[in-house]
Amino acid sequence: MAIKMATVVLDNGAGLAKVGYSTDKNPRLMPNCITKAKSVRTRTFIGDQIDDCKDLSGLFYLLPFQKGYLVNWETQRQIWDYMFGKDGLKVDLHDSNIIVTEPYFNFHSVQEAMDEIFFEEYQFNSVFRCNPSFLSQYKHCKEKDQKPLCSIVLDAGYSFTHIIPYCKGKKLAECTKRIDVGGKVMTNHLKEVISYRQLMVMDETYVLNQLKEDVCYVSQDFMKDMEIGRKKGKENTIARDYVLPDYTHIKRGYVKPLEETTGRAKDGEQIIRMNNERFTIPELLFHPSDVGIHEMGVAEAVVHTIQSLPEEMQPHMYNNVILTGGNCKMPGFYSRMERETRSMTPDEYDLCMKKPENPSTYAWEGGTMLAKDPQIKKMSVTREEYEENGHNICFEKFDV
Amino acid sequence: MAEKRESGRVKDLQQKRVLDDAARRRRQRKALEALESDNFQDDPHADLKMSKKAPKFEESMEAVQQQGSGTKRQRKSRSDHFKFRYKKSFAALLEEDQRFEKEGPSYLSAQIPASRFPERHFCAVCGFTSNYTCVQCGARYCCVRCLGTHQDTRCLKWTA
Repeated sequence: MAIKMATVVLDNGAGLAKVGYSTDKNPRLMPNCITKAKSVRTRTFIGDQIDDCKDLSGLFYLLPFQKGYLVNWETQRQIWDYMFGKDGLKVDLHDSNIIVTEPYFNFHSVQEAMDEIFFEEYQFNSVFRCNPSFLSQYKHCKEKDQKPLCSIVLDAGYSFTHIIPYCKGKKLAECTKRIDVGGKVMTNHLKEVISYRQLMVMDETYVLNQLKEDVCYVSQDFMKDMEIGRKKGKENTIARDYVLPDYTHIKRGYVKPLEETTGRAKDGEQIIRMNNERFTIPELLFHPSDVGIHEMGVAEAVVHTIQSLPEEMQPHMYNNVILTGGNCKMPGFYSRMERETRSMTPDEYDLCMKKPENPSTYAWEGGTMLAKDPQIKKMSVTREEYEENGHNICFEKFDV
Repeated sequence: MAEKRESGRVKDLQQKRVLDDAARRRRQRKALEALESDNFQDDPHADLKMSKKAPKFEESMEAVQQQGSGTKRQRKSRSDHFKFRYKKSFAALLEEDQRFEKEGPSYLSAQIPASRFPERHFCAVCGFTSNYTCVQCGARYCCVRCLGTHQDTRCLKWTA
């Protein structure tokens, strides 16, 4: 056995997979899907191959995940093959270890299938399976001078949002909670709203997702922004014109500067006017009931989860709230989250939130740190162990 | 004589169909399901027939035949095995999970309860705050103009 074996870290998100060697500084970001373009009929695009596609209108998606859980193995296999293959990381599979993430409350048969693929098909030397929040809290603990006893991770991803409390590095599964709002719901809702009010864009998931990322923000004072949104002309500082790409002259959609925002399109342009849509879409994270999902918003849910824990844990939890997942990138998310949580937190407790620079790759970065930890050897399952004991050893060792 | 004294507006109202609670909930559920879907259009490549059996220009016929008998079948059986064993929809997985693991936290128990804050209402047409409810379908609206748009475009249009 080689002394220093390469370790692959794969944060297998339902929307975006983050993959790289533990020695890499940044992961390779790979949309976890296979796409078919209207204009290119000779091939499909696997993962980040979509960057080669010139015309991104009307993309058709094949997603391995359904409601946040892996179900389409054919699709996932193709993406993984590409990821580890010669156009990807060029992994020497036999002599590599892998740290891979999976969703919370993952189903048994999905876990079995994952083990089978990683050990029997890819034949990795060793596998460590965990939830992304485990890696996030690991990184958080390493970064702090004084190792925190407890921490609580908010993981706002593509399919849903989870809140996971940890105590001394152990997940408290019975207190883990889920909100059924994720990036997908928001993009689909935006599509629906724009299609009804302005322009039929139901087919344009890719373009509208870009639109969401470019112009949506989390409001700091929702009702005040609503008032501003009602105003006409120059007084309305919220409305923006977004020029849609036509993929001949305009390669990518963009926001017009405020001075040129008139609500009218120039020649050859097609615009979407974003007014209250800019902040009502991300508002779903804080008020899922706005679209009829009868659940708490993220801030309320964090406080609710902490309050369901034993009282001696609570001050530690409030002191170590870690915000991760792509939705945290929304401008204004951190400050709104902090303000709203503070307002519901009992005033004798301090509230301290970890706001990573890049919340979507935070877990992956934690994975690279874990790979260097000598403990990882004990935590992961080697191929020999798997061949000896089968699935059972994986269920015993992995805390998921 | 009595009928003649009746107001025209009341008559009008009686003719209008009002959706009952069950129908409204069904509509709501459908809307939520739509938020989960991956694609709204059909597969653009659906009409393509990609036949792998057709020989490519660079290959000779023998090579194709050889491939057909060897590697290809192996590959097929592998994926077949996977399809057979692990191809399950989310609903099937959830059902299976419930059957085998009765106690302990699970997907279903992890759902966060409803908020203690009251629901907010927004105009189904323009998106601003709304004060009124459409009598027929229960959608919210904010002004007469939006109500007009709503009745012309959405109200009962896709259910009736």
